[in-house]
Amino acid sequence: MAHIPSDKHEKLPFLGRFLSWFTLPQNSKFIIGALVIVCIGLFLADFTYKKYGHFEVETYKGFYGAYGFVMFTALILLAKALRYFIQQPEDYYGDKAIDREEYPEDQLEKLGHEDV
Amino acid sequence: MFDIFPTAFIFFAGALLVAIAPGHRLRSAIALLIPVIAAWQVYHIPEGVFARAEIFGQTLEMMRVDKLSRVFALIFCIAAFLGNLYAWHVRDRVQQLAALFYSGSALGAVFAGDLITLFFYWEGTAIASVFLIWARGTIGAYNTGLRYLIIQIMSGVILLSGAALLWRETGSIAFDKMTLGSLGTWLIFISFGMKCAFPLMHNWLQDSYPAATVTGTVILSAFTTKLAVYALARGFAGTEILIYIGAIMTLFPIFFAEIENDLRRVLAYSLNNQLGFMVVGVGIGTEMALNGTASHAFAHILYKALLFMSVGAVLFRTGTSKASELGGLCRTMPKTAIFCLIGAASISAFPLFSGFVTKSLIVDATAENHYTLIWAVLVFASAGVLSHSGIKIPYFTFFGHDSGLRPKEAPLHMLLAMGITAFLCIYIGVNPDPLYALLPYEVEYHPYTMNHVVAQLQLLCFALLAFVILMKTGLHPPEVRSINLDTDWIYRRILPDIVMSFGRGLGAVWTSAGQSAGMFFGDLYKWLEKVLGPETGVSGVRPVGTMTLWVSVLLSISLVIVYL
Repeated sequence: MAHIPSDKHEKLPFLGRFLSWFTLPQNSKFIIGALVIVCIGLFLADFTYKKYGHFEVETYKGFYGAYGFVMFTALILLAKALRYFIQQPEDYYGDKAIDREEYPEDQLEKLGHEDV
Repeated sequence: MFDIFPTAFIFFAGALLVAIAPGHRLRSAIALLIPVIAAWQVYHIPEGVFARAEIFGQTLEMMRVDKLSRVFALIFCIAAFLGNLYAWHVRDRVQQLAALFYSGSALGAVFAGDLITLFFYWEGTAIASVFLIWARGTIGAYNTGLRYLIIQIMSGVILLSGAALLWRETGSIAFDKMTLGSLGTWLIFISFGMKCAFPLMHNWLQDSYPAATVTGTVILSAFTTKLAVYALARGFAGTEILIYIGAIMTLFPIFFAEIENDLRRVLAYSLNNQLGFMVVGVGIGTEMALNGTASHAFAHILYKALLFMSVGAVLFRTGTSKASELGGLCRTMPKTAIFCLIGAASISAFPLFSGFVTKSLIVDATAENHYTLIWAVLVFASAGVLSHSGIKIPYFTFFGHDSGLRPKEAPLHMLLAMGITAFLCIYIGVNPDPLYALLPYEVEYHPYTMNHVVAQLQLLCFALLAFVILMKTGLHPPEVRSINLDTDWIYRRILPDIVMSFGRGLGAVWTSAGQSAGMFFGDLYKWLEKVLGPETGVSGVRPVGTMTLWVSVLLSISLVIVYL
């Protein structure tokens, strides 16, 4: 298990502190709540203008939302099932494949955020 | 000499300078300057055919300039500039040379007015680009590079065969619109398809791009496949089979991308999916659809490069691009995270980002031409894009669970390259007219209608909601260290296994044949020894007199026979 530094004691850049707000568990309910409100708003927006489209289904209220939700869920679940058939350990193609190799250190600049 | 200096030659001249220039900063500066000069030329050059050359009674046309070639050439110049800026720190002369030769070849191919010129540059892109993979310098990268090179060269050889057959058939080597039918046209089509990563011919892409260097992948992502899209748009616009090929391309990679752990490979699958949209546009072949393909290629090169850059920066700072090892990097790499989010929003086609104003041209073209199923597939694939490139890449790298990694922000030149690319992604999204003006045909399209914006936002936001629910319920597949089998399984596992077992079989036959032969000859020897050996009468010692006696007997018998 990697050592997880505590954000409180870290000197994070301003933008980093701002973005890390989104990762805090206590804030997740705000984020999800906001998303739900946006979704409801977008559904209701369908009643405010005349919908047109090349196909009749496009004129149904909330069609795109429903399609996005259902298809996205189906995609994730199908992809998860696909893992059962095609997932293999990283050394499946032996040790002479990039999946098993470390990236050459001399081509990197691995630095911590407080390094100069 | 030529009436116009071919754009490709500007890059080759730059490469010569890089070859002799001392100091990597100077070389990087040359590599930055060359695309700027080339872009200036491409922008100002009039339409027409220039730089003709006679060879073996055939006329080669090295600069065929029209709106289609110009828009692809321009984005190639921009991509070369941004890629080289991102690679400012690279000291490796081979990579700098490869990048210039590679982008130059791609530009040469775009301007090629005949199939022979196209073939030369087609192979040029293959040979130059493999060095961006080999430059990683590991055995794995070397092996991957070989596989990549074999497939790319094969594509070129098939192109040449097709061109030769077509020349015999029509007497012309001109690279113009073709109709599928003869063997020659089919070979050319397949050759383009290999480079365009058609289904079942696609896996070189996902195999090789994650194997290249940090900067190499960014450069690779721009040229080869979009050159193939250009070639298809030039040669096979309106070929109906492309609609179905393209639709399959948008569809199957999203499943693989969803469960892939290496984020650079996720992006390679996602690239494949985006190519599908462009191929559908070529297949429909109307002015609107071809505009869609050209503009989508333009926007795609930018946001795809941006995503590869952001993941590359993470690899550069942490040594890994595996989702299972990353997470929470927004704390210390916030600028990279924001650029990544802009790339993600662009590829997912959020309003105000570039994908929105380009992809919808293609999707609407399918609807306008009543391809209902294809339209449904493309809308589904749009939600699929959100899942891997829109959510997975930024979420599992910069947000999500905290990996404990606190890497330093990306270096300045990388941030600059990402910043310019991100700016362009937003600029195209907010103000698409300058891009529309570059397109091959007149554009009568208004992406920002209430209808369109709400529909797209609904699709994406409800998909996001589905993601949140799947994560909260634990149904979303976790990121784990693993690989997934794809068609490379055939030539990396099955074929070698068959060859090995054939070899083993041959060895067994050889051994048993040797054993049986040994036994046979052993028995024969024993028999001969028994009959003729020193112990037998045959080999015994006889007095000379006995022989004389027998000679006399034989001579007497023959005398008698003669006189009988």
